[in-house]
Amino acid sequence: MTCDELREQYERYTLGVLDADERAELDTHLRSEGDPCIDGVRRARELMATLALTAPESHPPARLRMKVMGLVGEPKTSWFGVPAWIAATVALAVIAAWLAYSRREQSRELAGARLEAQRKNVELVRLNEAFSLMNDPAAKQLVFGENAPKPRGRVFVNPRQGVLLLASNLTPAPSGKIYEMWIIPKGGAPLPAGLFQSESDGTAMYLRKGAVDVATTGAIAVTMEPEAGSQAPTTTPLIVAAL
Amino acid sequence: MTFVPLLFAIFAPEDDRNLAKRLQQREPSALAELYDRYGRLAYSLIYRIVHDVGVAEDLVQETFLRVWNRSQGFDAERGALGAWLLAVARNRAIDYVRSAGGKMARGALELEYAEHPALFGNFEADVLSQDRARSVRSALERLNENQRHVIELAYFEGLSQTEMAERMGQPLGTVKTWVRTALKNLRDDLAEKAITA
Repeated sequence: MTCDELREQYERYTLGVLDADERAELDTHLRSEGDPCIDGVRRARELMATLALTAPESHPPARLRMKVMGLVGEPKTSWFGVPAWIAATVALAVIAAWLAYSRREQSRELAGARLEAQRKNVELVRLNEAFSLMNDPAAKQLVFGENAPKPRGRVFVNPRQGVLLLASNLTPAPSGKIYEMWIIPKGGAPLPAGLFQSESDGTAMYLRKGAVDVATTGAIAVTMEPEAGSQAPTTTPLIVAAL
Repeated sequence: MTFVPLLFAIFAPEDDRNLAKRLQQREPSALAELYDRYGRLAYSLIYRIVHDVGVAEDLVQETFLRVWNRSQGFDAERGALGAWLLAVARNRAIDYVRSAGGKMARGALELEYAEHPALFGNFEADVLSQDRARSVRSALERLNENQRHVIELAYFEGLSQTEMAERMGQPLGTVKTWVRTALKNLRDDLAEKAITA
């Protein structure tokens, strides 16, 4: 057959649907240098290449690129085209930084928890001491400020354990100031009995430990004093609980 | 039917020439670039044929390895690298489908020959361009249903005309006519577009 007669077979040849005898005849032409069929079949191959573009788009998984590169022994690359060793180094650095941060956070949290536990422990000790003092039959209970708008509360005087002040409506002392307790002997000058600050809600629990001679004590008082405290009251007492 | 947008198939032939030379020099980075350029297209084509993600992945690897190993026979100056790779991809997939279906009698040697790198020289520079894809898509859409069906059976399933006749329950002569007419219409349609472009 002539090239002109074979023209209709070019596309079927490249599509792979020609019968064996038809294919053999065209093959003979293609083996002849300069045969017009060669150019015709080339154009048919172009058409077949273009048909590939009509396949619906599918997205290969990212791992496929790494698999392909692995075929030629190339260091595996990440999904974003970054060499695997760089990706691994960055990943390790991120993990190390995260671990360090995590450890710092844990240490900080642990230290905070320890402080909180210590604070609660101190609080618990104070409460135990206060309960012990209050529950002692020897303790004498004094009430103050019952009819006053503020402050008010109770004072427990325990001859063996000391003096416990429980107050409310006692506004926290302003900056540079502090509350000071006084034990006032009968007919004597007030004796300083310790400094304390009230809570932000106006409550206060202050325990002045140590033996107290109840028989010679006339009153327990509280004044507001300079931050360092005073040896003698410098202001009018806010609390006075007479024995 | 939806079609590949082909955003990645618009590379200049000069790029492919350099890429082919680097493949021949066994530069692994060239394989990476080849994959970035044609990997999705090859995967789409193979998946369309085998309909299995795992098999498609295996066949894509086989395709790129084959191109890597045979790049010495490719004419870097005149060859169409993308067209060659897609031919290899299609043939690997068709070969798999035929093997899986127990149809080894026709094919292996034929497919081997059809993907020989020397066959992909002197292609038009825009053979894988978006314009070309749009043209072939619209040309396919203008075929009647039977004509389009036989083209798809032949191209995407690798069926012979006899197998198509059996599959479709039609006389062999009828199928041959559909195939011949479909291909002629495609050729004429694309040639007309090339002239008017």
